[in-house]
Amino acid sequence: MTAFLGKRIASSAIPLLFVVLGVFCLARLTGDPVNLYLPLSATPEQRAEFSAAHGFDQPIAVQLWDYLAQIARLDFGESLRTGQSAAEMVLDAFPATLQLAAVTMLLATAGAVVIGCLAAYRPNSVADRACSFLSMTAASIPDFWFAIMGVLVFGVTLGWLPTSGVTGGPEVWVLPIATLLIRPFGVLVQVVRGAMVAALASPYTKVARSKGASEKRVVFGHALRNAAMPVLTVAGDLTIGLVNGAVVVETIFGWPGIGKLMIDSILQRDFAVLQAAVLLTAVTIFALNILIDACYALLDARVRHAVPA
Amino acid sequence: MQSSAPPRLRGGRSRTLAAFTALAALVSSAGCTVANSDAAGSTGTAGSTLRVVLAQEPPTLEPCEASLTSTGVVVRSNITEPLIERDPETGELQPLLATGWQRTDPTTWSLDLRSGVTFHDGQEFTAEDAAFSIDRAVNSDLACNVDGYVFDGKDLEVAVTGDMSLTVTTPDPDPILPLRLSFIEVVPRTTSTEDKVREPVGTGPYVLDDWETGVSISLRRNDSYWGEAPAYPEARYVWRSEPSVRAAMITKGEADLATALNPEDATDENSVAYPNNETVALRLDGREPPLDDIRVRRAMDMAVEREAIVDTLLAGLAEPAAQLVPDGVVGYNDELRGTPTDLDAARELVAEAAADGAPIDREISLIARNGQFPRVAETAEALQYQLARLGLNVRIEMLDTAAHLQYQLRPLPEDVGPVALLIMHGNQTGDAAFTASQYLLSEGAQSTFGTPELDAEIAAASALSGQERQEALARVLADQNADVAQYVHLAHMRGLMGISPGVHYEPNSASGDELRLADVRPAGREGS
Repeated sequence: MTAFLGKRIASSAIPLLFVVLGVFCLARLTGDPVNLYLPLSATPEQRAEFSAAHGFDQPIAVQLWDYLAQIARLDFGESLRTGQSAAEMVLDAFPATLQLAAVTMLLATAGAVVIGCLAAYRPNSVADRACSFLSMTAASIPDFWFAIMGVLVFGVTLGWLPTSGVTGGPEVWVLPIATLLIRPFGVLVQVVRGAMVAALASPYTKVARSKGASEKRVVFGHALRNAAMPVLTVAGDLTIGLVNGAVVVETIFGWPGIGKLMIDSILQRDFAVLQAAVLLTAVTIFALNILIDACYALLDARVRHAVPA
Repeated sequence: MQSSAPPRLRGGRSRTLAAFTALAALVSSAGCTVANSDAAGSTGTAGSTLRVVLAQEPPTLEPCEASLTSTGVVVRSNITEPLIERDPETGELQPLLATGWQRTDPTTWSLDLRSGVTFHDGQEFTAEDAAFSIDRAVNSDLACNVDGYVFDGKDLEVAVTGDMSLTVTTPDPDPILPLRLSFIEVVPRTTSTEDKVREPVGTGPYVLDDWETGVSISLRRNDSYWGEAPAYPEARYVWRSEPSVRAAMITKGEADLATALNPEDATDENSVAYPNNETVALRLDGREPPLDDIRVRRAMDMAVEREAIVDTLLAGLAEPAAQLVPDGVVGYNDELRGTPTDLDAARELVAEAAADGAPIDREISLIARNGQFPRVAETAEALQYQLARLGLNVRIEMLDTAAHLQYQLRPLPEDVGPVALLIMHGNQTGDAAFTASQYLLSEGAQSTFGTPELDAEIAAASALSGQERQEALARVLADQNADVAQYVHLAHMRGLMGISPGVHYEPNSASGDELRLADVRPAGREGS
């Protein structure tokens, strides 16, 4: 297992370097931040001074070298916009996004396993069709529309929930989580159902039944375990999407997460913050991928044995 | 066959229970609190806390950056105060931390200061602090926004002449120095001159209490304030970038004031329209054919249907414009009227220009900025259609702020062909000289071209004061329309401020940049 992990970590380092280089160069292709940070009436001398103070007047190769040297010292620079340390801003914002992602994925997976298993247990029954219809609908609803309607219906008209914000009790979680949940939930129900239908029709299920195993054991012990692989793949992908920042939810509900921070730093050409945010999410995504691979190995002996110890 | 329907599922309850327990543990381990937010923070109770929802979080509260809208709206006249303030209604300058000022010679002004004022940290306010604040904002290496914004990067000489008096000397005669000084927020002399401060100390009616990054800013009343105590003991700012959410917060009663609502979300109950000082216009790049021909520029001005754009796309929240500054600004010319639409005359002008060789079919880029004002994309499309009726070949390009600025500011991009740039200009200063030096001078930072005659007129007008200044600047604006025609003026805009029924507040032309919390009172307790 250690060798397996070691190998995965080593193979992640190179893509990570490409991510760092890519973001650095692409961000600078989008234009000069000087105009954004100085008043419209600033003189050319003031603009040149600002450029020089932040190193934007240097050739891009020099800027890149300086940046890499900075990262090596774990110094991620300062935000142009707020003057705060970029690392601090990013580390402050990330947990809020992780919380959203974790709660959403746990609820979505748990819910999808229950509903998907029920649907697959009697294929083509009324329950199955209803569940397919609803999960397809859920997977197709645009999240920004759902969020705004949620605010209008539950926040304003019914008055059950706060319209937005993060201060308060558990009620502040409901709309953001519901908005984030709806798509992964719909997709996962479809995946669980598909995988379970196949698993329940397979020969090993028949064998298990004929051995006299209880239905609970057949469904959860045999079928679900085998159906878990595709579910894990899709759930992993969806989690990665959420960790990247739930931009729509963070923007609409004023959630202080990394997605909003990233978008703002792109619009404001706040390179230091953008680079730090992308680097942190990239590292997290690589870590998540390794975790998912480890889960595969736990679930499937064939994956474990494919890697020589 | 019986077995085709499998027996009902039983059991599994303990696992389900375990899963939900785990989930409950996850959420409650965080105490239901969102990371990066304060568990104890309250949303503020209606009544004692004035709750304001802004469009964005201020990047900083540094007082010398207060000419940035998102910073100024929180800082100005709430946390810090200037020496002199401009009344947005009358345009008159009012004493604040200075009690009087006079011009002692063409380049020197002397100011007398208010005594008995203390900063939030207990230090007494003296002439040293006033001089320090001017020095820090204008002469330091901090590259303060206000320096470039109102002082064009020129340095000032400041001398303390007594405990409560000082003189300010300008390099050239400056008849509107007091107006410029009204943009400098006063900070204590202990403030850093090396770095900008995120959390300022001032003399204002409110003290910065807490800034929870990403979530909220809380202010509390300054109990030792020298002037009248504001009605609300506390104020709390939050920000939501979605205008419909800001409107929903007003309707639901979660906020008392909301900035910049969209017409779609506004009702008579949740909002008030007010002139916000912004003017929308098309800036024509007169260096590039066919826009270098004044007949083409005039024809474009005649082809535009201002009334229709104002009434439909801008939902009546604007007035047709004929100049870059609205009423109330020194230099506003009340004789100018938006050019009436006259397609036949416009087509004739274009035909004349074409006969003289102007390349009428050359592609003109109509460049606008996403989110510049509500329905900006539709406005660009309407303009494209209206100009196409003259046979002009107009292509729309929607850009983000940073990319749009590349076109707006000198050095202007090269080799991009003729550009008609949709601009929105807000003159916060109340004096059209700021507009003229930026937008009308041949070499103005936001101007594409000009004429030596207009340049000379602007220079002469800027040196005048009083009624002469008003008349001279008004003439400049009229002459731009008559002889230069760099701009197709479209509309003077009005903003929408969300105001809950629980509070009484009358927004004015400065409210977008400077939201004075002391002017807000609980509804029903008017004129206290």
